Amino acid sequence: MIPSRRLGDAALALLALAPLGAACWLEGAALSLSFLGRATAVLGLTCLLLAALTSARVPGLDLWFGGLTRLWRLHHYLGAAAFLLLLAHPLLLSFAAARSSLPAAAAVLIPGPSAWSVWAGWLSLALMAVFLAPTFWFFGRPEYQRWKALHALSAAAVVLGLAHTFALGGMRTLWAAYGACALLAFSYRVFIARRWARRGFTVVAAQAAGRGVVELTLRPDEGRLEHRDGQFIYLTPLDPGLARGRGEEHPYTVSSPSGEADLRVVIKDLGDASRALQTVAVGSKAAVEGPYGEFFHKSDADAGELWIAGGVGLTPFLSRVRALAPGEAVDIHLVYCVQDESRAHFLSELEAAAARAPGLRLWPHFFGREGPLNEAFLRARCPDFAAREIYVCGPPELISAARVELRRAGAPAARVHSEDFSWL
Amino acid sequence: MKRFMYSAFVAFLSSAAMIVVLARLVPGPRAPAPDAGRTIALEELARHATAQDCWMAIEGGVYDVTDYAPSHPAPPRVLLDWCGREATAAFGDKGAGRPHIPESRELLETFRVGTLR
Repeated sequence: MIPSRRLGDAALALLALAPLGAACWLEGAALSLSFLGRATAVLGLTCLLLAALTSARVPGLDLWFGGLTRLWRLHHYLGAAAFLLLLAHPLLLSFAAARSSLPAAAAVLIPGPSAWSVWAGWLSLALMAVFLAPTFWFFGRPEYQRWKALHALSAAAVVLGLAHTFALGGMRTLWAAYGACALLAFSYRVFIARRWARRGFTVVAAQAAGRGVVELTLRPDEGRLEHRDGQFIYLTPLDPGLARGRGEEHPYTVSSPSGEADLRVVIKDLGDASRALQTVAVGSKAAVEGPYGEFFHKSDADAGELWIAGGVGLTPFLSRVRALAPGEAVDIHLVYCVQDESRAHFLSELEAAAARAPGLRLWPHFFGREGPLNEAFLRARCPDFAAREIYVCGPPELISAARVELRRAGAPAARVHSEDFSWL
Repeated sequence: MKRFMYSAFVAFLSSAAMIVVLARLVPGPRAPAPDAGRTIALEELARHATAQDCWMAIEGGVYDVTDYAPSHPAPPRVLLDWCGREATAAFGDKGAGRPHIPESRELLETFRVGTLR
């Protein structure tokens, strides 16, 4: 069965609305503050459990949702919706009780010490606030590993939320089923994936591509990892000599072409862990999970392509370029945006590839000299760019700027595909 | 989105704090004296057994909860099943043997219409 994004989205929407539908049906849904208080709880808990479910990161499953990057975005919005709805839930119930008296309204929020089920709900909400605070930058930009560690609290928040619901709400069978799926997703990520989904690799080469950029070649200890061009992996370096990031997993895009036995990844020193990786020992071990993502998904098979790469965002395109057979008929314009010549890594390799494949046109853009990428630059090199399938990969600033220029030029949004790792 | 989430969280904290503080400052409705009202027989109680007219007998008191029922945190059916009946057992066990909290008892007294004969 070919993964279909529409089917995946439809299934997720159905799962999201089913409990609310069941609750309305059971209750007969007369609209009141008190009903809204319970409805926000039902929908909020559903969103929380689905956020847990979408965090499992099972290779291949992400393709049903348009790739892992989009699945992360869905997970992010589900989590945000859960938090907002579950904040509204106690307030609405309290407002409902305020019709009787203010002390009654306060008693809904602060019940006696014996009401453990209500306190379980509060603790769940408090944990959500703690683990979501870095996600939504309550106290500024968080450090990746701290954000990740705090996010583990979500499991406790889910368990406490379920306990609260089991004690106070109905539909226990339904919540048991949803809860079981969510906890299964947690256990997959924490226990199963670590043991069975990660595969052993050895770093067989580390080639500096320029200052602060290294391309690692990873050889599978057994078998091989099939990937498609533009996909990415989660890499866990195990080199004991690493100053930072040993045993930490980070996502990196694969730069080797599909079909090659070894896996290559390009790593730019954007943080402590990636900086340490610049000098990783050749011969050291690493674990790889994946592949994930679906960057190249054409909506019009006949259209030519426009690629816009920003810095290390060149990687998915590099994988495609390397996969081109000599003389292969393609119609691709690659705009490679970098600060200046010294940052134009892999440029000579790209030029050589363009010489071999006449349909591949290469346009370096030096924004240090030429300013931000704009419509005029694109129009001059690739006049029909708005009619092409457009892929953009790079820092979030480049992607949003490119989207603005492309929209202005009349390129349909459905034809513009982008990927970045700024989902945090 | 980040700014919105932060604002929503702060708004939530302020609203919750406001309710709790106001509840301490504003005097609640005074409960009628426990002997207020008249003596009511089970037959009369049974005549108030609908959602539009719902009386319940709890621990010897008779209470008119018609107006309150839609504001109760539990789904309406949980309460309305007991209209017109002796509901002491239901009040004493919210499920899993948990009784209501003292604040609920105080609130209940404000609905008193009489004493069960």
